[in-house]
Amino acid sequence: MKDRLLDALRASRADYTEIRVERTWTSSVTYRGRRLESATASEDQGGCVRALHRGCGWGVASFTSLERLPAMVGRASELSRAIRVDDPIRLADVPPHEADALLDLDGDVRGVPLAEKKRLIEAYNGEMLAVSDRVVDTLATYGDEVTEYWFVSSAGTVLHEVRPEITLSGTAVARRNGTIEKGLESIGLRRGWRGAQDRGAGFRAAAERAVALLDAPGVKGGRYPVVLDPELAGVFIHEAFGHLSEADFIYENPQAREMMTLGRRFGRPVLNVGDNGAAPGLRGTLPFDDEGTPTQDTPLIREGVLVGRLHSRETAARLGERPTGNARALSFRHAPIVRMTNTYIGNGRGTFEDLIRDVKLGVYACSAFGGQTLLENFSFTAAYGRMIRDGHPAELVKDVVLAGNLFQTLDRIERIAGDFRWNQMGGGCGKAGQGPLPVTEGAPHVRIEEALVGGDVPA
Amino acid sequence: MIERLLDEARRRARGADAIWRRVESTSVSFDWGRLKAAGATEEAGIGLRVVKDGRVGTAGTTAVVAAGELVDRALASADLGATVELALPAAAPLPDVPTHSDRAAGASLDDLIAIGRALLERLTRDGCQVSVAIGRDVSETRVANTAGAHAAYRTTAVSVSAEIWRFAGDDVLMIGDGWDGCDLPPEDRLDALVRSITDRLERALRIVEPPEGALPVVFTPPGLAAILLPVTQALSGKAVLQGISPLVGRVGEEVFDPRFSVTDDPLRSGRAASRPIDDECVPSAPLPLVTRGSVRSFIYDLETAARANTQSTGHGQRGIFSKPVPGYTNIIIGEEARGKGEAVGELGGGLLGDMQDGLVVDELIGVGQGNVISGAFSHPVALAYRVERGEITGRVKDAAVAGNAYELLKKIGGFGNDDRWYGARHAPSLLLEGVSVARR
Repeated sequence: MKDRLLDALRASRADYTEIRVERTWTSSVTYRGRRLESATASEDQGGCVRALHRGCGWGVASFTSLERLPAMVGRASELSRAIRVDDPIRLADVPPHEADALLDLDGDVRGVPLAEKKRLIEAYNGEMLAVSDRVVDTLATYGDEVTEYWFVSSAGTVLHEVRPEITLSGTAVARRNGTIEKGLESIGLRRGWRGAQDRGAGFRAAAERAVALLDAPGVKGGRYPVVLDPELAGVFIHEAFGHLSEADFIYENPQAREMMTLGRRFGRPVLNVGDNGAAPGLRGTLPFDDEGTPTQDTPLIREGVLVGRLHSRETAARLGERPTGNARALSFRHAPIVRMTNTYIGNGRGTFEDLIRDVKLGVYACSAFGGQTLLENFSFTAAYGRMIRDGHPAELVKDVVLAGNLFQTLDRIERIAGDFRWNQMGGGCGKAGQGPLPVTEGAPHVRIEEALVGGDVPA
Repeated sequence: MIERLLDEARRRARGADAIWRRVESTSVSFDWGRLKAAGATEEAGIGLRVVKDGRVGTAGTTAVVAAGELVDRALASADLGATVELALPAAAPLPDVPTHSDRAAGASLDDLIAIGRALLERLTRDGCQVSVAIGRDVSETRVANTAGAHAAYRTTAVSVSAEIWRFAGDDVLMIGDGWDGCDLPPEDRLDALVRSITDRLERALRIVEPPEGALPVVFTPPGLAAILLPVTQALSGKAVLQGISPLVGRVGEEVFDPRFSVTDDPLRSGRAASRPIDDECVPSAPLPLVTRGSVRSFIYDLETAARANTQSTGHGQRGIFSKPVPGYTNIIIGEEARGKGEAVGELGGGLLGDMQDGLVVDELIGVGQGNVISGAFSHPVALAYRVERGEITGRVKDAAVAGNAYELLKKIGGFGNDDRWYGARHAPSLLLEGVSVARR
């Protein structure tokens, strides 16, 4: 394959050309309630060529039929030439790399019969159903993927990788009369079959939480000191801040650049934020991004001050900074764009108990059903919460929706505990029609001085 | 390929159906005012479903594999698969629906660039950044089954989207809109797109205090998502089978305002989602789901229909790699689905005249999160305007709206004169009373 790609590359007339080819084996098994909904295996393959002529725009051609490779190299070059730009696109230099990175497959899922995968997820689903007869519905999905990946570029980089991935997810729906509550479990790992074992406890806990929420009151809307658990804090930093640090948001946009000027204070000195595509074993981890740049740990906020951002080769050149290995493509169907990898809030000090000791009345918001940021506003739905009363976690509450302004909220992060952990969740990040892209977030417990907690908005 | 695959499947299973789809896409994007990239994709794949011993299995591929290998994989999936009495439809006459435009298929890259550039020029203004994207898909679909049904059709799809960004300190304003259809966009549609964006931008420049309380709110066609998502979720046969649809068992009951209707119409001309046959070989037909406020039907594919002891409504949708699921095509909301074309109404749809104090909601944050199907919603506004004494006085920030979609749709204060397509949905603005509005 490598020779075939290098031959095609040599035929290109563009000033810069890169070719990515992927072959992906996936299988998935889904249970809904006691019923197997589907068990299927599929194979996807294709490639993407990106070409750039001097003084022109990008030409991108993707395809599923590998016989078309030489034609598509020509097509990408043609598309590039069709676009004239006044301001030439430049690419920051990256030294050429040759690597044959066979990630540890951790028990190659391709050798495991579908029936065994079915048995595994059936057992996890059974854990949820066994919790209570209030659990009226479940959804449990096993998914795996192995991707063989080739990348060659006219800058001299030649990469070959094999990437495994496992995802397990469970939703338990509990019902009593008209009240319906959900509990979620989600695991995503850059690992193989071994990584999927012994995960039943998390599924059971999700169902127990759904049942417990049936008796929980909705949180009373209002302003509270809010403590985020590491999972929600991670989702928050990804959604609310991470996207703004993607340099394609600002590199052609002077006003946005001003808003994100390096050196601007974004928070108090306790706040450290970064993105680490090289952290071992996580879903967002890869040795190289999809432009052949090695991944790295990139500090974004240091002691409350904006110190960095995430780059592709193009955005780095435009802003006179260095590429950070954050140009990623969801698959061969897409060109790489600036994306996060494993985004984190750095560790602070002390324990969760220390963090809540002096909170008289507050909300402990845990795990996330979802979140959306629109410009400087965000809204997050916690999976569940607890009131904090007189320095101790108290009753379970539901419908915990956090909404607010990003800049204000970051600035109100006043304490950060020393109990950092990575979320190892499935799902992923969406941007510009490319999703879900495997990413991870990590954080310790984080305390926000004051935030608006909705449940019902009082009329 | 599809015939060979079904021949092989017929020998080894009781029944099978398959879909083959080939798509060629071309796209150009002007990011932050600059044309930076053009893209082309060529993609083809085949999805197979087999029924053996009452069990269903699927397999899909974009790779070139032998028919036997794909059948092997589908049979392995069926060995574990759910038992369903799947009734594969026989050949039947198909409705005639135009889904292909030679003009759109023949448009060159330069034609697409010209559309984008004209739009960009008309939207460009000081202090703002404009992004525009144009896409064109030409696709060919073949569906067939072992019961003798088969069909092939071609579709063209053109999409145009534009957004204006304005940064003023930490106040970021983004206003976007789009158009999509089978053909290249007519001039008057592009005019409407420009007017829609610039009108909403101009009215957003002034920021005013949000009101508070139980107030009348006009939800624009884009803003209706939070109100209509629970309804379309509840009208899916999938939700019925899961026992989570609040509308189950209420067919014939007047659940909504007597002027409220919902129809799914796969035969609507000019729409890229239209098709003569669904992805499971069931002929297409418009399906009234709610008429005069009463629930009439739910959408089903073959499998959910079989399990609910009913007939497929022709709403089977499938990708290459997944099994079919019930899905909508063109959803038409309105006073008896009058579908009088694409009106170019002003913001508020002419519903603001009698409003003393209220809001126009154009976009909300976090729609689709949480327990949507229950109808309860609570969202911060992304783009909303205050209305005082019948006039829009400015944009409100830091406000949130909440309510229950089913309660609010029982009594609709008014239907706007601004019916339009927004994504898969055709709707006018709706005036809803007693929406809870809070300041943040």
